[in-house]
Amino acid sequence: MKARIEADLPFYFGPGRELFGFYHPAPAASGTAVLLCPPLGAEQIRCHRLYRQLAHGLAEAGFPVLRFDYYGTGDSAGRSRDVDWARCLADVATAATELRARSGAQRVLAFGTRLGANAALDATDAVLAGVVAWDAIADGAALVSELDRMQDALKVDLNRFDQARPELDVRLEWQGFETTEHLRTQLSGVGLPPLGPRTAWLMSKASDAALERADGQESAAEAIDVEPRWDDIDRLEMAILSHPLIDAVKRRLREMA
Amino acid sequence: MHEQAFRFGSSRHLVGIVGLPPVIDHGVGVVLLNAGMVYRIGPFRLHVDLARRLNALGYPTLRFDQSTIGDSGAGGKLLARPEQVVADVGEAMDLLHQQTGCRRFVLFGLCSGAQNAHSVAHADPRVVGAFFLDGYGHRTLGQRLRHYLPRLMKASVWRQWITRKHAAPQVRPPEPAFVVEPLPGKVVGGQLADMLARGLKLDFVYSGGVSRYFNHVRQFRECFGRLADHAGVSVSYFQESDHTYVLSGDRQRLLDHVAQWMGRHFPVTRPG
Repeated sequence: MKARIEADLPFYFGPGRELFGFYHPAPAASGTAVLLCPPLGAEQIRCHRLYRQLAHGLAEAGFPVLRFDYYGTGDSAGRSRDVDWARCLADVATAATELRARSGAQRVLAFGTRLGANAALDATDAVLAGVVAWDAIADGAALVSELDRMQDALKVDLNRFDQARPELDVRLEWQGFETTEHLRTQLSGVGLPPLGPRTAWLMSKASDAALERADGQESAAEAIDVEPRWDDIDRLEMAILSHPLIDAVKRRLREMA
Repeated sequence: MHEQAFRFGSSRHLVGIVGLPPVIDHGVGVVLLNAGMVYRIGPFRLHVDLARRLNALGYPTLRFDQSTIGDSGAGGKLLARPEQVVADVGEAMDLLHQQTGCRRFVLFGLCSGAQNAHSVAHADPRVVGAFFLDGYGHRTLGQRLRHYLPRLMKASVWRQWITRKHAAPQVRPPEPAFVVEPLPGKVVGGQLADMLARGLKLDFVYSGGVSRYFNHVRQFRECFGRLADHAGVSVSYFQESDHTYVLSGDRQRLLDHVAQWMGRHFPVTRPG
């Protein structure tokens, strides 16, 4: 196990080497590799550990894995206010190409969380053979409203601040990350695509739209309860960890491979 | 931006990102330690923004994950956590030296990162300066008076106290995710005096997010006495900010503060 972790490689890739990635080679590589698409904002940091554990588990199961950060997120180049949804989709495609080149795999499956699931589903240029989507966003406008509501609550949270900050404009940032009108507009239009790659749906709370889509694709949605919840501002810095989720993702990816 | 990712350390168990300025003057490098369990990018990407700001000013940086945090694995030797921290940061300084030639280092640590930076700064002679954000400090009589006296004047507080006596007990909010376990004040003060005697420059920054134990810039003197007068000590209290600098404006102000402090104490001869 330790020797394999040492083989995991952090690196920069893509045009201008602007994207940060972490490649996990598989000891016995199959013809299928897995791309892990992170969520955005505070959710990306909260899921970092979970993605690392998942990557190790998948590599042990024979899948080469690439984790990566979109432009303007994580260790990749760009400022947080530079995050652009179209660029995120392009980065998924760039990462899929990098994964094919490094692993030699012909087929690439993806796992994504929240907006990371939408990015995998929407990135047609990535030519993904299948996606495991956890809590994909069915209604982007509702997500934007929810993030605004959380920011409104956060700025007057006296468990966090010594004095409330009611004067701050909630439209300028969401839970630690600057945002722009452009990104707000882009995310408001995010939803589940009418046609996409073969998809397995995992949900940590009821989502009617996603459930309908899952039924439409004749693929049962699987409920995974994970704490803390995405909208819990008291635990904004707390990692989200779940072995049941990791087991479910591995099982679903093995079924697709 | 010129950044390189590394797996390093005697057991190749550590992962970090070296940030290079356009021109390296072999002066001082800055090492950013994990804030609690948050991986190397820092709370809300604070460490990425700070590293790139410092690179633009001419300072090389390394943001990295200590053993078993973020992307780093366990070290090859069986060490107690404090010894492991000193070993990890020592190997981080080795890497930054190999990549940039700098031999002197400033550490940046928030919360448990401040605690770790304190341990390393005390133990490793290569450290010439440190930022301790919401690090050591303890409640004092002054802190209690500043906390309770204004509240006693407010009718709303009395009203709340009386109604609470008759109401069902409230659910306590969750404990903060970041907590610094206190060392005895005398021990901390003694170690700080050792560092200052070695010529280290130390910057203490406290936020409003830790007003439960620190609530005024004057409190540093209440905690550590005459150390507050030492020329190598700077103390700031950012009352508006929370513990993890969740608001971008607060982060920007912190970055400005760090940049100014570095320029004052460790000026770059050939700016990037």
